[in-house]
Amino acid sequence: MLEFASPMLAWWAALTVPIFLIYIIKVRLRRRPVSTLLFWNQLFDEKKPRAWWQQLRHWLSLLLQLAFVLLLVGALIDPLWSWQKNSQRRIVLIVDNSASMKATEASGITRLQSAKEIAKGLARSLRPGDEMSLVSSGGQSVVHVGLTNHARLLIDGIMELPETDAPSALLPAIAIAERLLKDRVERSEIIVLTDGCIEDFETIKNNPLVKIYGVGKPRENTAITRYQVRRSVMDSVGYQVLIEVTNSGLEEVKTKLELSLEDNLVDVVPITLKAGESQTRILDHTSATGGRLVAKLDSKDALSTDNSAISILPQRAPLPITLVTKGSLFLKSVLESMPLVELTITEMAPEAAPKGGLLVLDRIIPEKLPRGRLLIVDPQNSTDMMTVGESLEQPLVARVEKDSPLTQHIRLDNVLFPGAKQITFTRPVESLVRDPLDSPMLARMKRPGGDLWILTCNLEQSDLPLRIAFPVLIKNAIEWFQGNEGQLRPVVPTGTLAAFAIPEGDQAEVKDEAKDADASSDKPSPTQGQEASSTESANDSAVAVESAAPTQLRRDLHVSSPSGKSLAMSAEGDQALIGPILECGLWTVAPASDVKTETKEGAKEMATDAKVDYRWAFASNLTNRSESDLKPRGELLTADSLSVVSLGGRAIWFYLAMLGLLLVTTEWWLYQRRVVG
Amino acid sequence: MSLFDSDFLKKLEYLSLVSRRVFRGRLLAQRRTKQLGGGIEFADHREYAAGDDLRYLDWNVYAKFGDLLLKRFQEEEDLHVYILLDASKSMDCGTPNKFDYARRIAAALAYIALADLDRVSIMAYADKPLDVLPLTRGKDRVLSILKFLENTKTAGAATDLATVAKSLVNRAQRTGLVVIISDLYDQAGFRAGVDLLRHRRFEPHVIQIHTVEEANPTFLGDIELDEVETGQRRKITVTERKLKQYNQLFHEFLTSIETYCKTYSLSCTRSTTDLPFDELIMRMMRASGIQS
Repeated sequence: MLEFASPMLAWWAALTVPIFLIYIIKVRLRRRPVSTLLFWNQLFDEKKPRAWWQQLRHWLSLLLQLAFVLLLVGALIDPLWSWQKNSQRRIVLIVDNSASMKATEASGITRLQSAKEIAKGLARSLRPGDEMSLVSSGGQSVVHVGLTNHARLLIDGIMELPETDAPSALLPAIAIAERLLKDRVERSEIIVLTDGCIEDFETIKNNPLVKIYGVGKPRENTAITRYQVRRSVMDSVGYQVLIEVTNSGLEEVKTKLELSLEDNLVDVVPITLKAGESQTRILDHTSATGGRLVAKLDSKDALSTDNSAISILPQRAPLPITLVTKGSLFLKSVLESMPLVELTITEMAPEAAPKGGLLVLDRIIPEKLPRGRLLIVDPQNSTDMMTVGESLEQPLVARVEKDSPLTQHIRLDNVLFPGAKQITFTRPVESLVRDPLDSPMLARMKRPGGDLWILTCNLEQSDLPLRIAFPVLIKNAIEWFQGNEGQLRPVVPTGTLAAFAIPEGDQAEVKDEAKDADASSDKPSPTQGQEASSTESANDSAVAVESAAPTQLRRDLHVSSPSGKSLAMSAEGDQALIGPILECGLWTVAPASDVKTETKEGAKEMATDAKVDYRWAFASNLTNRSESDLKPRGELLTADSLSVVSLGGRAIWFYLAMLGLLLVTTEWWLYQRRVVG
Repeated sequence: MSLFDSDFLKKLEYLSLVSRRVFRGRLLAQRRTKQLGGGIEFADHREYAAGDDLRYLDWNVYAKFGDLLLKRFQEEEDLHVYILLDASKSMDCGTPNKFDYARRIAAALAYIALADLDRVSIMAYADKPLDVLPLTRGKDRVLSILKFLENTKTAGAATDLATVAKSLVNRAQRTGLVVIISDLYDQAGFRAGVDLLRHRRFEPHVIQIHTVEEANPTFLGDIELDEVETGQRRKITVTERKLKQYNQLFHEFLTSIETYCKTYSLSCTRSTTDLPFDELIMRMMRASGIQS
């Protein structure tokens, strides 16, 4: 049964009356004098003037004009079928813009493009009283357009929906949709446009509010579904690559996996995968320099995003260590045995530790401790940071702090530390190894100017150097001083938050800039001498250590996505949470002030042209089996049925108006033209 | 504005001069008659017959060859110019008005003829002669001719040139040049009339006039046509296709007139009313056989 949205506008049908009257007047033809009818009579001789059909054609003209008016009136009053009238709907349209929606269909267009076309048709079919909201679910749930009746706004929102490399987050999107509809559930629905490559499909399908419409056909796809790189624990320049390749298609696939480091081919692995099979490979290679490690499948399938994966292999930089000793064979041997250590041995303690390195003081301790990171073994005299007392009565290891990275992989229970002395520190320390009386035998201290690691044990008298624990202890200490640099830079899966650790050596700069910005203090000129720079560097270090104290400074950072999009953000402490990450590739982070300065100087393409400092970057990959499997997880409603609901993407009034336009054009063409073309 | 204003008269004078200087009177006047006789210009010889005037015997030929040959000379006499002006109501149409245009042409031709010492007669006609200006001679008669033309109005029923030609033939004292100025929409009568004139040794010259609108009508749709000559009306629906057919039909009509005139070696001039009348006269002069 037909009803009307605006029945009052039917009064416009009264326009037919004047049209009829005008028509009657129009039947009195224009009169035109001519010299002769000779030729006109010849033309029309075979047809009698005013034949019946000629009469009829005037009536047809009137009929066309009246039909035009009635169609326009019909469009104005906006006819509705009764089921439409009763279903002034509130729709939350969730468009899945996850990575799998980037898959290309046989027609050459992506699933997301198809979904957008369907969504636009749905938006155009909105009736007065209907409301629609637009939500996307790629990686994160975003409400692009709130509940509105404005079709143009919705279409603009649909057109601007971005592609993402992130997995689908449909459940959170549906939760948001339910919140949008919670005040009136009846005649409300959640329409999901997706390819069905989603987890929790059954959960979503069982939701009575949700209707899932499918986009795209199942496609063959081979993907890298796991990818991580780490430095080898056995070999300081070695690294291991963990790769899992999955064939989610229905046919066997033969492909090659290419591994390249900084665009230099490292390895090619042929892989044959049966339908649905996954293969995991661990590849061992060596490189001290590190860099961008890319794994790439030689495969041309529907989804290209998951055919490559990227990671950052940390660089193994040589560590300068100065050993101040009068001949400790054990210490010398241990340090020399460590790869990438540049060892310098001296008997005179320098004023500072080597830049970026470590100063090892064996028994020889100046009264004022040098600046920088210090590893002190068997201190014999007091300094400004500690007071060395009498020898311990029972230098037996009683307790080891197991949770500390400095004591991992070692067993020191009941080991004697002969010659160990009672040490009192001027600042709080963390005792890692203690004697039965709780006196520290191994401790670490944070101090302005560089952290300390103190072991009170006479290596000549102890059997500690003969134990396997000794080199491990020293190695732990060196790694602690180095931080996590050169170990593992985990690859961030898309759709998650990236916890980016601000490089330790650069935290000082960031913090100092933040402080400068706050205090507007005078910055030293870069033209000052080397000595001055060195002093300032030490001061910077001091600031860094202080900043590491509980009062953390806020930092402004500039994040660049792989596609070049920029994001300004703030971080507190030494870690920044970035994301959720929606793009695969290499993300770069920089202190905001650096970016501003470069912009001022006119360096326009700083981020792209400059060599990437991998300490200030992290990698992100899809590595998601669910997204790479381009088959729907269950039965989906066909998008064609959605078009039927919207009557081909337009409301009835639109078709009435178009038909009216067609009629009036026809009438004009047949009757109203007065100018010879 | 008067039909024959001072500008018009200036143009007439100019045309007269051009006619004399450039075309040396070959448009209308100073034509030799086809009669041989007592002129001064030698034309031909013929054999002597008894009773011939011995003054015209060619004694030189007789002295040389012994043949008796008589010299013949071409007689010269005034040309009689009859202007048949179509004054039917079909001429009272269009912009510029066809009848006004026809009257200007008639005036121009009459002026040139008078200037060349020829005799001119003008007959306004429709279904029959409406008004006649008898043969007149001398340039001083120009004003009376202009007055006659100015006073001539369109009238009468459907054009019938055959009847008019019959009347002219009966009343003309001598043969001469007959200039027919008309839209020629009376096809059958036109041919019968011209044929009669030809047969009676008149020299017909046809000037066909029509308006641009008549050749290319631009109206479309439902329309009632009113024939001004007969008052007959017809309701028609003009489509683009019909317009094309009309154009074709009109073109065929023009072509048939041209073909008819060519068949009988008649001079024929066609013009639309948007062409200045003096331009038309110049065109006629050129078409008379002497190119300037």
